[in-house]
Amino acid sequence: MIQLLGKRLIEFFLFIFILSLISFAGIKLAPGDAVRQLLRVDDVAVTNEQVEIQRQIMGLNEPIIVQYWEWLSKFIRLDLGTSYMTHRPVTEEIWTRMPATLLLTFTSIVVLIAVAVPLGACSALYPKKWIDRVSRVLAIMGASIPSFWLGLLLIEGFSVRWSIFPSMGNGTLMHLVLPSLTLGLTMAAVYVRLIRSSLLNSLSQDFILGARSRGIGRKRIFWLHACRHSLTPVMTMFGISVGSLLGGSVVVETIFAYPGLGKFIVEAIHNRDYPIIQGYILFMGAIIMLLHVVTDVTVGYANPEIRLKEGGH
Amino acid sequence: MVCMLLSIALLAACSGTKESSTQATQQAKKELTFLFNFASQTVDPSLDYTPLRAGVVETLVKLDENVKIQPWLATQWSSKDGQNWEFQIRDGVTFQNGKKLTAETVKQSLERSIELNPGVKQVLRIKSMKASGQTLRVVTEESFPQFPSELVHPNTAILDTEAAEPDKKPIGTGPFQVESFTAGTSLKLARYDGYWSGAAKLDRAVFAFNEDANARLSAILSGDADIVYRPPVESMDRMKQDTQLRLDSVVSLRTHELIFNTKKPLLQNEKVRKAFDALVNREELKDAIMGGQATVAQGPFLPDFPFVPKYPTRKTGTEEALKWFKEAGLQVDNGKVTQNGRPLTLKLVTYASRAEFPIFSQALQSEAKQLGITLQIEQVENYEDYLMNDTTWDLGMYSPLIAPRGDASYFLNVSFLPDGTLNYGKINDELLNKWIYQLDQTVDTAKRNELIAQALTRINDQTYYSYMVHPNTLVVYKDSVKNWVTSKSEYYMLTNQLDVEAK
Repeated sequence: MIQLLGKRLIEFFLFIFILSLISFAGIKLAPGDAVRQLLRVDDVAVTNEQVEIQRQIMGLNEPIIVQYWEWLSKFIRLDLGTSYMTHRPVTEEIWTRMPATLLLTFTSIVVLIAVAVPLGACSALYPKKWIDRVSRVLAIMGASIPSFWLGLLLIEGFSVRWSIFPSMGNGTLMHLVLPSLTLGLTMAAVYVRLIRSSLLNSLSQDFILGARSRGIGRKRIFWLHACRHSLTPVMTMFGISVGSLLGGSVVVETIFAYPGLGKFIVEAIHNRDYPIIQGYILFMGAIIMLLHVVTDVTVGYANPEIRLKEGGH
Repeated sequence: MVCMLLSIALLAACSGTKESSTQATQQAKKELTFLFNFASQTVDPSLDYTPLRAGVVETLVKLDENVKIQPWLATQWSSKDGQNWEFQIRDGVTFQNGKKLTAETVKQSLERSIELNPGVKQVLRIKSMKASGQTLRVVTEESFPQFPSELVHPNTAILDTEAAEPDKKPIGTGPFQVESFTAGTSLKLARYDGYWSGAAKLDRAVFAFNEDANARLSAILSGDADIVYRPPVESMDRMKQDTQLRLDSVVSLRTHELIFNTKKPLLQNEKVRKAFDALVNREELKDAIMGGQATVAQGPFLPDFPFVPKYPTRKTGTEEALKWFKEAGLQVDNGKVTQNGRPLTLKLVTYASRAEFPIFSQALQSEAKQLGITLQIEQVENYEDYLMNDTTWDLGMYSPLIAPRGDASYFLNVSFLPDGTLNYGKINDELLNKWIYQLDQTVDTAKRNELIAQALTRINDQTYYSYMVHPNTLVVYKDSVKNWVTSKSEYYMLTNQLDVEAK
């Protein structure tokens, strides 16, 4: 157990190191830098020479490797630096926005599960019946409607016409409904078909036939055997979806003026706020890595076949 | 699915109950939500414009609606040489925590902004400051006649530097004090009863942000916002049809311009530049593309600035362009332009964040095509860096702020001096440079206006840029809102005069 934990930790730190190196080089090699934004050159009478002086003050004209070393030596001391935009510590900026992002992720997943699981299961249980046809149409619609458009449609209906939910902002449960529906419904479309095909695949397996021949009840076969078997592809996909939700859903956050991480990071990229961008990449990298571990463990638990293939007991 | 619909219905029911229960308490309250199109991540006045726009902080001087500077927290100022300044700080003003505004608090605030924001340091160029009672003496690094104008800059706004959280709850002297701030979403405000110019008519206000134009329109239609800044122009008809909405359209201090890369031999020829200028169909750009929400530009500045010269009447159209191409030494045959027997192909660059520019580019491309000229349009990311560092482009589109603080020297310095940060056309005109340097040292207003007029005439004669239109700022608000003024400068939004019929 300690060996496995040690192996995972080494993998984790190696991953973070490589990610930090690649992302740092990537950001620095991209055109533009923070100085023109910082000096607001479109609003302040400065010369190119003064821009260059400021660049030197900020150490942005140093070779990339020197800048990376500066950053890394601070990072080892758990200092991710300070935002150029707000002058606040990067960790504080990310943590401040995390609760809102976590909340939206959670509520979107609730919508996703509430829609995708019953529809997908019913489609698989009653193939080619009306419920399957309805779910197929809904899935196609959901997959082909862009999330921003769905968001605007929901606003038009639930805010403008019927005045049920607020169209933007945050602070109450009501503010979460429309963004969660937008994100949840868009993702649910994909899951309905995935759950259906995965369940149909499971139901046609030999072990299901075996269970039937042993006289095990239909409900028991479905819930205990087929569902558990079909979880593998769904769980793998779910891990990726949670990661992307936590990473921020920029368009939805923009439309609903929701204070999540996505919009913030896009603004940081626009302003070339390097400390924020670098901190965010590492932070998300760590979360995604963690999610993969959780997904692996969960999938292994749900499907003993995989656990055995990977050398588990 | 059923569970979800039930939950929605329950939430809706809760919302209704909440609304009705709070309705009674809100009846006497005057509250308003203002929706702006850029999100702020901080409300530190030294770093962000929102606290000034929201009426939390104020600057020493302000711009009036004629873009002339007026006293605000400073009642008067003087300098004999343009370098040694004396400002009288308004007496009887208190910060929102009750602390008195003095020359010392102003000095501390300006020092903080200079330390925190390198842009402010460049704007102010202060060498030293000395405070005594309500008198602030400032020495600038060199003669700097436009110094008072620069104090209009929102990041020079005065705040109490001893307040605990200036980035979340700045304490200023304005009519509204901060209740709470959610980065990227909204700033909640309450009236400051001790405001020196008379307490605000509103009890509370929300300064909210939403970058999506359609979502902003939905917000006012759904009742989530009372005033919306820059609603989508394409929804003008829908807004006009709504009898409860009012539209306000004011010409801004921006000018959409066509840039010529004067590093390119062809575009060094002023007659070629004049030919392209003749191809710009300004009326079409204004009416067909901008839905009338613009003013045709004759030069960079709006005509009501005192230094704007009387420009000669401009002739436009393909015939006029052909005339200029011919004069420039290019071959014109059967209405087609060639150079050394080959048709002309130029690269026109633009960017997407000003939605009208790609369409402007296509309009110019179409005009040029009639003369056999190919304009290859390229949409570029990191546009400013590209214009500054790339050498392959010929023509570009840009929209600079022409007079953000009312004074012309900013624009002339950044756009025409060889080292100017917005001199994308790489213009280096010795005569123009000399006049701009002279302007920067001149204190006398009449002499300054004369120099600016001279420079603008030269720019027009040489057609260094083709100035197309001044875009309008569009604001939509409910008819229950009173005393809303759309400021040309885009600096002043929530004021103590702003009012709303009680909800």
